[in-house]
Amino acid sequence: MNPSAPSLHSRREALGLGASGLGLAMAGSVLNAVRAQATTDEPGAPRSAGPLQSAGAMTFGPGNVLFVGDIAGSAVHAFALRDEDLTPQTGVELGNFHNFEGVDLVRGLDVKLAALLGTTYDNIVINDMVVHQPTGQIFLSVERGRGADAIPAIVKVNRGKLELLKLDGIPHSKISVPNEPDQTARLEFEPQQVYAITDVKYYKGEVFVTGISNQRFASTLYRIPYPFTDQKATTTVEIWHPTHGEFETRAPIVRQLVLEVGGEPHLFGVYACTPLVRFPLAALKDGAHVRGDTIGELGYGSNPVDMLTFNNPFDHKDYLLVTIDVRGGMQIGVADLATAPPQPTGGPIDFGPGGLGKTQRELPIRAEHMAMLNSRWGVVIWRHPKTAHRLDLGTLMSPYFFDRRLGMSEMNWPDGPDPFDYRTHRNEIDRV
Amino acid sequence: MADLVTQDRAETAADMPALAVELHPGGAGWCVRADNLGLELTAPLGRRVESLLRVTVAEPGASDDNDGDVPDISGDHELLGDGVRFIPHLPFEMGVPFRAILDLRELRQPGLTDVKTLAFSFPEETATSETEVSHVYPSNDVLPENLLRFYVRFSNPMRRGQAQENIEILGPDGTPAADVLYRVPVELWDGSMTCLTVLLDPGRLKRGVGPNRMLGPPLRAGQPYTLAVGTGMIDAYGRPLRDGFSKSFSVSEPVRKPIAIEEWKIRPPAMDSRVSLQLTFPRPLDWAQLWRGITVVSESGNAIGGHIDIDPGETRWRFTPDAPWQGGLYSVRVVPGLEDICGNTPYGPFDAALWSTGEMGLETAVNSISFEVKVS
Repeated sequence: MNPSAPSLHSRREALGLGASGLGLAMAGSVLNAVRAQATTDEPGAPRSAGPLQSAGAMTFGPGNVLFVGDIAGSAVHAFALRDEDLTPQTGVELGNFHNFEGVDLVRGLDVKLAALLGTTYDNIVINDMVVHQPTGQIFLSVERGRGADAIPAIVKVNRGKLELLKLDGIPHSKISVPNEPDQTARLEFEPQQVYAITDVKYYKGEVFVTGISNQRFASTLYRIPYPFTDQKATTTVEIWHPTHGEFETRAPIVRQLVLEVGGEPHLFGVYACTPLVRFPLAALKDGAHVRGDTIGELGYGSNPVDMLTFNNPFDHKDYLLVTIDVRGGMQIGVADLATAPPQPTGGPIDFGPGGLGKTQRELPIRAEHMAMLNSRWGVVIWRHPKTAHRLDLGTLMSPYFFDRRLGMSEMNWPDGPDPFDYRTHRNEIDRV
Repeated sequence: MADLVTQDRAETAADMPALAVELHPGGAGWCVRADNLGLELTAPLGRRVESLLRVTVAEPGASDDNDGDVPDISGDHELLGDGVRFIPHLPFEMGVPFRAILDLRELRQPGLTDVKTLAFSFPEETATSETEVSHVYPSNDVLPENLLRFYVRFSNPMRRGQAQENIEILGPDGTPAADVLYRVPVELWDGSMTCLTVLLDPGRLKRGVGPNRMLGPPLRAGQPYTLAVGTGMIDAYGRPLRDGFSKSFSVSEPVRKPIAIEEWKIRPPAMDSRVSLQLTFPRPLDWAQLWRGITVVSESGNAIGGHIDIDPGETRWRFTPDAPWQGGLYSVRVVPGLEDICGNTPYGPFDAALWSTGEMGLETAVNSISFEVKVS
């Protein structure tokens, strides 16, 4: 690394110079400044970050493969996690399902991430959260720093403790996104074009990547076979919503997922401000300009935060859940996704909601990130509602996704009414 | 070069256990070393080594923000005879106060009951110059009603996270105009973190789209506006801008037609010279895309190396070759999708009537211009 790093000999000299702290006879608080000939402390990719230049959207594929979107590195990475990289969370408390009581898995998440990564909480950015379903382990993509020298890290939660996932030894492959044509001209490309990846999802041997460029304004979706091949197998699809009327323009898909509905796989995308759009996967062909069907307007003036599905433990039906920054979680039946007709175009001005947005059910979720832990519990990163300066990682029970502990309702008093039989079920704690 | 500052709080004889911050001899960067532990550290220490020598952030956040169970800095431990070394997984960050803690009780030896600490930090390197907005593009002060974006350039690298609160468009009455700028899901910085893309709301730009019909276009022809950048933009060194920045502009009629490359004026250079090739456009093109969207190739199709200049106003592009021009035929190639400041491309306007697949003019648009270099 650093050709001028001191040998053991010069290390001894350095000790003699006084950088050694306790080795010196110094009383009180004395500042010793030593200028060292080194560059190794300069910002740079540490070994722990492996091949990542940044850490954004994540998703798991089969075989414990963790996909990570890397905006700075213009790539999607695939890390084939080994057994030693994963720790089953068997026995970890998730809360009292019957009594709608979640638990804090990590209190003060931002402060603890800062402590783990050697910084202060205001210099921590949490970009995404995913759950490794077989072990119940939660993974966070994090960056230390907010500038060009930000250092990426993947952090896992192990029984309430944070651990860095050391990437340098994990079997790895990656694919560049976008695959720029060979550029042989030696020109000065001063302001770099950056493709900001907004989401990464895996479905049956393919990775779907959505994003937005800082220069060319076009919503682009990449469909990439996995395992990645040497060939430029990237399928580039521009999604274009030209229809004047209710359709969005060339804005990016912010969140996406692939679901089989009506016997066929479809990609569902949610855009800013906040149309829900359906694309048959079969239509997303290389070079095609595909017009999606807007099947819901979830409400104006907002941005989607996360998009997931869950199975309601009571009616056993599947639901789509879209969490929205200025609202809560929007719930739509998966069965309705197949049959919903495209919204008509050219109608009068309509603030919405429209289509499936009209029948969506709003859930009280205010989360910076959300994922499902298992069939009964979701996990959220949220500003604790009663201590808003604190960022917590905690659980919420499905399908209501609220935490009774936060309520000031009559039944929370010891001698209050008990219409839900809370007291009977008080000791029923769910575990992973 | 980096400064290391340590803060000593104890007197220690030379042969007593001691803590030091040092550069790793194997090149792993700054690390913390404990020496003179008085015995050979061997395997029986096991994971206790992680408690023997720990390094923490002195103040990662307010103390009531957590349950007290704050982790140590993530790192590896190396055993060194009668010492141990801690190597952080991420390099020590400049400007952050750290504390190394040597807990001799973990050695489980009679008489070793001390807990020694060493505070240290690496002073943040700060750029000498204060940070300011250096340029905004488009650089003209008359801009079309359907302007798609601004580029805001800063004199030093910046940090993410402040744009939405600090960048706004002030309307004709001097107050912030609501919903003019698009709230992007990810702040759109270039790789050097010195250039931020600020988009106007495309939903308001496209006629007939919901937000356009509700609120009209983001800007109105004939009205004065100001792009305002607040001092709350934070640079890479944690500092606010020296001054707020504003760019006042007036608004002209919208431009909704494709880029007509055949209307560009070309001034070919002379043979054996390194005089620049010059293209003049009838209206401003996108500043950022001009750096990468136009290339010069020889008759055999090889790209010519050189550098680009873009004149203020973004209507003139100049290309100076690395080597003198040789005689022959050349062409200027334009990438598909090169945009003007309203997002119009050679294939069509940004805001056009409904097209269906195959009607986008991909086959018909001109995307290169030939020119000949002759003896002058």
